[in-house]
Amino acid sequence: MAQSDPPSPATAASPYTFTFAGILRGMRRTLVVAVFITPFGIAYGVAATEQGMSATQAILMSAVVFAGAAQFATLDLWQAPVAFVSLALLVLAVNARMVIMGAALAAWLNRISLGRRLLTLGFLTDVNFADMLPVYRRGERDLGLLLGSGVVLWFPWVGGTALGALTGQSLGSPEVFGFDVVMISFFGAIVVSQTRRASIATVASAAVASVLFGQYVAGGWNILLAALVGGCVHLAGRHD
Amino acid sequence: MTDLTAGLAIALTALVTLLTRAAGPALVARIPITRRFERFLDGLSISVIAALVASGLARGGWREGAAVALAAVVVLGTRSSVLAMLAGMATAALWTYLSAG
Repeated sequence: MAQSDPPSPATAASPYTFTFAGILRGMRRTLVVAVFITPFGIAYGVAATEQGMSATQAILMSAVVFAGAAQFATLDLWQAPVAFVSLALLVLAVNARMVIMGAALAAWLNRISLGRRLLTLGFLTDVNFADMLPVYRRGERDLGLLLGSGVVLWFPWVGGTALGALTGQSLGSPEVFGFDVVMISFFGAIVVSQTRRASIATVASAAVASVLFGQYVAGGWNILLAALVGGCVHLAGRHD
Repeated sequence: MTDLTAGLAIALTALVTLLTRAAGPALVARIPITRRFERFLDGLSISVIAALVASGLARGGWREGAAVALAAVVVLGTRSSVLAMLAGMATAALWTYLSAG
């Protein structure tokens, strides 16, 4: 804590920043993962045009929505007349987990200006959430890292979509290269490396709950419910 | 589908997505942050990633399980989740290659 800081309870710890250097550092963090986003983007571009979207529409969708799971899910509803209410509810369900991710990052995000916060949240994905949360927990104060680690994923997602939508050529079967397990391997590794003895019950209960709820509720809500179960178990298991 | 309808559908998808992204910090700003609430958020954050992995594994089979298992071993050995991801991919690719005969 800087000695010259005015005595304000709101800024008790070191200051929160949002620097260009931080954005670049964030971009470097997820650069390798970003490479493997491209095949997902291509797959979306191909699937979208097969469903009747124009290449322009598919590219626009990827550029402004930037949420793979939700975009794939909405393809089922891409027919005239569009069921707008169903569309909104489907997107809400698939993206429900983002509410949890934003809440988990609120302690840091709510320290920067609203404009910067919304810009950073616009690039929040499963990937940069999972990658950056441990970094902020270790004491990082530069929110630029979160934005940069999301922005770097946007280019291969939109670029891949353009490639798939314009050429209509998929890369063949993604299983051959193991592209289909990119995300689950990355997230699995982060869960394993972040789990301490005190949070084994938390992780286990969330895992079991997501599978159980997955049998009963439509896609996406099971993740939100499982996270809430994990949060409650974590609270009940306090030892401090 | 007309361009207008398509444009509206894209705008609606983008709007709802942005709302879900922005909702978390907005909700938390309205709740007094106690140590208990901080601990609850702590539990939520690891749980949401664990839930994504578990539901993915439940949909997959032994191949996906083997990929995540190797990724887990690699991250414990190297502390690098990127190396772990590459190891998981290699495992799954090899699995597919071998099972194709």
